Amino acid sequence: MSSATGGDRGLESSLEASINSTCSYGSTRARIFKIIVIGDSNVGKTCLTYRFCTSYFPERTEATIGVDFRERCVEIDGERIKIQLWDTAGQERFRKSMVQHYYRNVHAVVFVYDITNMASFQSLPAWIEECKRHLLTNDVPRILVGNKCDLKDSIQVPTDLAQKFADLHSMPMFETSAKNTNDHVEAIFMTLAHKLKSHKPLVLSQPPENTVELNSGAKTSFPCGC
Amino acid sequence: MSLRTEPGRHGSEFRRRRKLCDIQRALAKDPPDVATLRRMAISEGGLLTDEIRCLVWPRLLNVSTEELPPPPGPELRVNNKDYEQVLLDVRRSLRRFPPGMPLKEREDLQEQLIDIILQVLARNPQLHYYQGYHDIVVTFLLVVGGPLATLLVDKLSTHHLRDFMDPSMDNTKHILNYLMPIIELVNPGLHDFMVRAEVGTIFALSWLITWFGHVLSDFRHVVRLYDFFLACHPLMPIYFAAVIVLHRESEVMECECDMASVHHLLSQIPQDLPYETLISKAGDLFVQFPPSELSREAALQHQAERTAVSTFKDFELASTQQRPDMVLRRRFRDSVRPENRNKAVLTKPRTNRLVKLAVMGLTVALGAAALAVVKSALEWAPKFELQIFP
Ligand SMILES: Nc1nc2c(ncn2[C@@H]2O[C@H](COP(=O)(O)OP(=O)(O)O)[C@@H](O)[C@H]2O)c(=O)[nH]1
Ligand SMILES: [Mg+2]
Repeated sequence: MSSATGGDRGLESSLEASINSTCSYGSTRARIFKIIVIGDSNVGKTCLTYRFCTSYFPERTEATIGVDFRERCVEIDGERIKIQLWDTAGQERFRKSMVQHYYRNVHAVVFVYDITNMASFQSLPAWIEECKRHLLTNDVPRILVGNKCDLKDSIQVPTDLAQKFADLHSMPMFETSAKNTNDHVEAIFMTLAHKLKSHKPLVLSQPPENTVELNSGAKTSFPCGC
Repeated sequence: MSLRTEPGRHGSEFRRRRKLCDIQRALAKDPPDVATLRRMAISEGGLLTDEIRCLVWPRLLNVSTEELPPPPGPELRVNNKDYEQVLLDVRRSLRRFPPGMPLKEREDLQEQLIDIILQVLARNPQLHYYQGYHDIVVTFLLVVGGPLATLLVDKLSTHHLRDFMDPSMDNTKHILNYLMPIIELVNPGLHDFMVRAEVGTIFALSWLITWFGHVLSDFRHVVRLYDFFLACHPLMPIYFAAVIVLHRESEVMECECDMASVHHLLSQIPQDLPYETLISKAGDLFVQFPPSELSREAALQHQAERTAVSTFKDFELASTQQRPDMVLRRRFRDSVRPENRNKAVLTKPRTNRLVKLAVMGLTVALGAAALAVVKSALEWAPKFELQIFP
């Protein structure tokens, strides 16, 4: 799926490189923050996740089919953290029966709409509702992102309207552009990561199977563990 | 010493020319010899050129090319519930067109692509558009051109793709569920690893519903696979997906055993896959573990006996091109009825795997002795063939 999703091969291999060089999977396991990105088709979910993970705006994206995965390693307060972004298909039929699996163990949700497309904003309640259905706990951090704010001449969703909506659902709201370099896509995801880092440890703990794996590994090779 | 290479009887050029002849002869028959055309489409190299595909694909789909539909008028797009989504997806599908194609020509084709999709949807109100459908339609557009593509896609959508176009994707999910059992039958270790990683099967979703058109960048590979899939049972793409995963066993096993790592690895499909080998393997897996076998696998865990009647039925069903999921469900129903199973075992001889492979035009990892068996099997194959691909 992801091989065909974004731009040219160069971008993809740079994504590959960033994964391999910054993330070592060895004994010092980085903490993982799993973030799911949802919203209508064409609002720019794929571009935003690309921008964050590769620092590029993909010139060409294709329709995302199912679920794509991108990740990037960052350092927060001296701790190495792996941020996994799960980029989902916008078409309704996919999320009905396909996407549930990927809601498991998510640490945060990013809702995206397109500020030049009112319909994408109006779909948000449905996305929020669906998200509620899939998430086990209520305290998973969620943020709202209005994308394409470089297109100043075709704004359909006024900032104050979006802000009101965000307040109503108690989410932070950001307007940004995956296309413009200086529109702090990076900062948005980093803010979220900071928030996750300082969040309750329960939510942040790794999926149980990883813990089991770590424990058993420690038992066989290093009796006294960490 | 003269080491000059001669264009011997077994050279690839020789095989190619003979294949061209065979195809032409099969097409010239009245009615066309569809069984041979199927075998040609499956066997090494597939249908060789797009000119041949224009002639053979309609035969494989049993579509008459005498009356081509007129291009639709602009009213097709007015108040059309699918237009928005189709437009978005087609606009973003630049990579499906040859890189050097002039802008004007590409935009023209994109308009045609939208028209074909909307036309087929309008003619079949029971069908629902899905993202990825456009990746299939563009392949037909580029190979056979607009009017004929409309006819072929219409037929394909009401048959091979039917399950993907239901109101929900439940049937698609059901078909994806056959991926892991196939992998388990061939490589239980790999299967267990993937189960432990909880990777799911969504990494193969775009492979299945676009017939790999969405993920392969070389168009020649895409059309080669389309030759294969058009000539086979509607469930063949899921066998091919399994074969790709199996082919990448060592990479998968080296992965961190978690969903993200394995999903990431598998969804990046390598572009240099040995397609002909994988096609043979997929054919072989289909023959060894036909859909009936798998549904039984799913239903009753381990039922070792493989019967002629079940594999035969699979071919029979393939030829009538039913909805893949319907095939599975029917098999499931049949297999759980115990009296059926016993009857099958008692009265029908076990069919020979090699014979069935030969009928498909495949030889898989066969030694010289085995090849001889296939050759002799082929002598009586035509009759058999008539039965399985009427
Ligand atoms: N002008 C502008 N276009 C954008 C921006 N983000 C995405 N796009 C365009 O919007 C279209 C859809 O983007 P994509 O990421 O594929 O959307 P998705 O369906 O939500 O994944 C593409 O044509 C992008 O080039 C942005 O910030 N500014
Ligand atoms: Mg996308």
